[in-house]
Amino acid sequence: MEPVTAQVLAKDRVGEWIERLMAEAEVIAPVLAHGGDEVFAPIRSPGEVLWEFTNPVHPPKRFLLPQTDPVVAIRRGDNGYELEAIVDERRRVLLNVRSCDVAGLAFLQHVHAADLPDRSYLERAAATTIVCLSCPDPCPLGFCICSGAGPFAREGYDLQLSDIGDLLLAEIGSERGGELLAATDGFFRPATLAEMAQRQQLEEKAKQLLSEQTCHFASAMRRVSTGRVAEDLWRKMSDWCLECGACNFVCPTCFCFSVKDRHNGDGWLRCRTWDSCQYPAFTLEASGHNPREERRDRIKRRFFHKVSAQYYQRDGMVGCVGCGRCVEVCLGTTDMPAVVAAIRKGEWHG
Amino acid sequence: MTVVDAVLTACPFCPCGCGLYLQCDDGKPSGVAPSRHHPISQSRLCARGWGAHEAPAWGERLTEPLVRRAGGLTPVSWGEALDAAVSGLNDVRATGKAVGVLGSARATNEENYLAARLARGGLGTGDLDSCLRGTYLPLARGISRGSGGRAPQGSLVEIEESEVVILFDGDLARSHPRAAFAVMQAVARGARLVTVSCLRTQLARLAATHVRVAPGGQQEVVAGLIASVVEAVAAESMTERRAPEPAAEMAEDVKEAGRWYAQAERASLLVAPEAAVGNSGEALGFALASLSQAAGHLGRAGSVVLPLPVRWNLRGACEMGVGPDVLPGLRPLDDQAALDRLARAWGRPPASPVGRDAAAMLGAVGGLLVVAEDPPSPLRHERAAREAMSQLDCLVVLDAFMTPTVRAAHVVLPIASHAECEGTCTSADGRVQRVRPCASPPGSARPGWLVLAELSARLDLPSQFGSAGEVLAEICHVIPAYQGLDHRALDHGWGAVVAPKSDARPVESFPQVAGAQRAAGDGSYLLTLDGVFDWGSDPLVALAPTLSRDFVSKRKLFAGGFLEMCSEDAEALGVRPGWPLRVKSRHGEATLPVMVRRELEPGLLLVPFAFREQAEGVLGGDDVVAVQATRPAG
Repeated sequence: MEPVTAQVLAKDRVGEWIERLMAEAEVIAPVLAHGGDEVFAPIRSPGEVLWEFTNPVHPPKRFLLPQTDPVVAIRRGDNGYELEAIVDERRRVLLNVRSCDVAGLAFLQHVHAADLPDRSYLERAAATTIVCLSCPDPCPLGFCICSGAGPFAREGYDLQLSDIGDLLLAEIGSERGGELLAATDGFFRPATLAEMAQRQQLEEKAKQLLSEQTCHFASAMRRVSTGRVAEDLWRKMSDWCLECGACNFVCPTCFCFSVKDRHNGDGWLRCRTWDSCQYPAFTLEASGHNPREERRDRIKRRFFHKVSAQYYQRDGMVGCVGCGRCVEVCLGTTDMPAVVAAIRKGEWHG
Repeated sequence: MTVVDAVLTACPFCPCGCGLYLQCDDGKPSGVAPSRHHPISQSRLCARGWGAHEAPAWGERLTEPLVRRAGGLTPVSWGEALDAAVSGLNDVRATGKAVGVLGSARATNEENYLAARLARGGLGTGDLDSCLRGTYLPLARGISRGSGGRAPQGSLVEIEESEVVILFDGDLARSHPRAAFAVMQAVARGARLVTVSCLRTQLARLAATHVRVAPGGQQEVVAGLIASVVEAVAAESMTERRAPEPAAEMAEDVKEAGRWYAQAERASLLVAPEAAVGNSGEALGFALASLSQAAGHLGRAGSVVLPLPVRWNLRGACEMGVGPDVLPGLRPLDDQAALDRLARAWGRPPASPVGRDAAAMLGAVGGLLVVAEDPPSPLRHERAAREAMSQLDCLVVLDAFMTPTVRAAHVVLPIASHAECEGTCTSADGRVQRVRPCASPPGSARPGWLVLAELSARLDLPSQFGSAGEVLAEICHVIPAYQGLDHRALDHGWGAVVAPKSDARPVESFPQVAGAQRAAGDGSYLLTLDGVFDWGSDPLVALAPTLSRDFVSKRKLFAGGFLEMCSEDAEALGVRPGWPLRVKSRHGEATLPVMVRRELEPGLLLVPFAFREQAEGVLGGDDVVAVQATRPAG
């Protein structure tokens, strides 16, 4: 899709622009943590923001869907228990989010807005501005091109920045993105045709660099959706999984949770907490029965949810944005590309 | 500049040595993030690691000092509580009864060191131990003795590069997931894996060879491996010399495994704590070191000989001198140079009598100081230990969490949990890492090192420590292996590794683990304990809502315990899951429900460690017994 509008900002004025953003909202961006670890964190000054970095292993999803998320305060009142919804409307700017994570946030938005709208998530999301930084140099483990989630974002962002030399080119992806530029009088000017062409070249080059990466969702989807994956394949794979749940936790599209009450003074906080479909007790029923007692059944379930036609139709995309994080964190060898390849070929080599 | 809303710290569960970020929200730990560049975890964490924030935030926390008055625990000021603790222990000593101290695998090096210092320096007692020491130190000590102090050696990351891995497996995938991953990586890269176990565990299913072994039979396998290595080495170097006699009746799988091990450039011996069940840990360790030496792997770069402690800082606790027969640095009690060094640092000579171990202490001492432990939970005889705890004249407990031991205490001193304290811990492979706080301790709870320093000072043991760092400075001063710790690596890097010192004088053995009663061919089954530790009884798991689910559900369903057997045996006996089975040994009998576990070898019955008391009548104190199993009539 051709960018509708674009403006440019001189790089030496980026700091001033970020300061403007910080005055209005909490700005969250990739920064360096201990020993050179890249993490998304609230910044205290524009100088901390990373512009050339490997995408943090922990996705920005936690700022919209925290691992521990208090959603209801419960108190003993005169007339029994009193409940109060906890709403987080803090204004946030997610800065320098990669296209894979933009696609992930769009996926989560879709999921939480559908059927029974999830107010807790949606209000947080409504107060969050997403500024994407496109990927001219794709990361070594990523395969975003296979799920249409990168290396440049097509939708789901408010602004998308591209590095074109001395300038940052900003594409406007939403009304809010437009307002964000309008409010920063003097920083930005409209992009020239040459600058627009430069950005197009970056995208073409990045796509070429990614062409080696393959994760054949379509053929895996055919097999998974028509029950053409041998049970024995799931069994073999399951011996290479240590059920750590990391694939769920770092996945930009995973959102499963548990609900637990925590003591808080005289009352309780009802919290939504991250959970993993790979944990044995995830589906444990009160009777003691567990429909997915075996690990092979849990792995099968995970990939059915990720790549089956049923969920593709419901969610509009496979449940994978190709960020490659599951490859990086897997305490085993059952990451998305490995399992998709195994499903497609009907073989598992560990 | 570095700014984060999360703090890098050491994972507080198993001793693999992973690093993680603890996140904090509204003053409470709220989440975990992996560290990409941490040399051990490398972006990875297991399920427990991902739940490291849970227990401190969700568990029942101790927030104020408590003293037992008129039968109940009553909040008091810190001064009153510390005075009560010291006078309580002193009163016991005045009556001529002994006073003991228990450190813990759940406590930092600083806390353990100060506990050892307080015992030998402040209370003048050798009754000093940690409850899990017996599952690790004899094995490590045997390895050290058998290798002249050159092993344990190697790291988990080096295992990944091994060509051959021999794993004495308990169930590493569950007990030490990062170590299991290292083994998996090695296999994925083409290594030959040999598993030695009575269980066909997940890793055994990936093995090139699985050596079936009866519980307690690991040592025979090591002997077989040594024989095979000797044969292989001899065959290689044989020119004019006489060929050795072929080892008689060596099992083919063991023979082949020995050959692989001898021929590999880089090879790993990895020992899960369960391997010592039914064996003498020290003898097994000695044999393992001999095996490594025979094959030429001892001291070779890239080769690994590593026993895995069962719980977080067990190695650190031992090295800090928490044991009845060691001084800090694992020095023998008669090491005059070590005694002199300690006397100078402490301002008073350490008491150096051999003390009682944790189990023997309970029932023998009148007063007990417990640091971050619920002793009956990890001890073999839980009920007896619980009973003995209730008989103590003075029980002083330092803990962050409410445990049954805290409920039985006379003085409760609330301390910071792993999420709120500063200190260091030592991993299985000797990496010393910083523990960093992400939140403040709840209420008036204080750092454990501070409370121990204050108790020590009240016992007239000079203890002018202004920070955990100052405690570490003394540790580095008195423990030779810690002397060279690179503080820059501790602060800005990923920790510093304590290398084995070949000049270390091996510690003499004490006390010995009794050899288990082996089956004499009369019984149709061997009954043994599964594991040496129950994570479900550990507060960091039990109080964590996500992590505790599996354990809680099993306990709810089978409050009276259960036995596990393989499906073939269940079929042969005509029992189905949940049905009762009567087992009878020379000690006694019990009837317990049966669960079917695929991974078990035929002829074997397992009792989860958590349910050891329910089968105690049959086990009679042994680790392994021969039993007759029958389906009860009706």
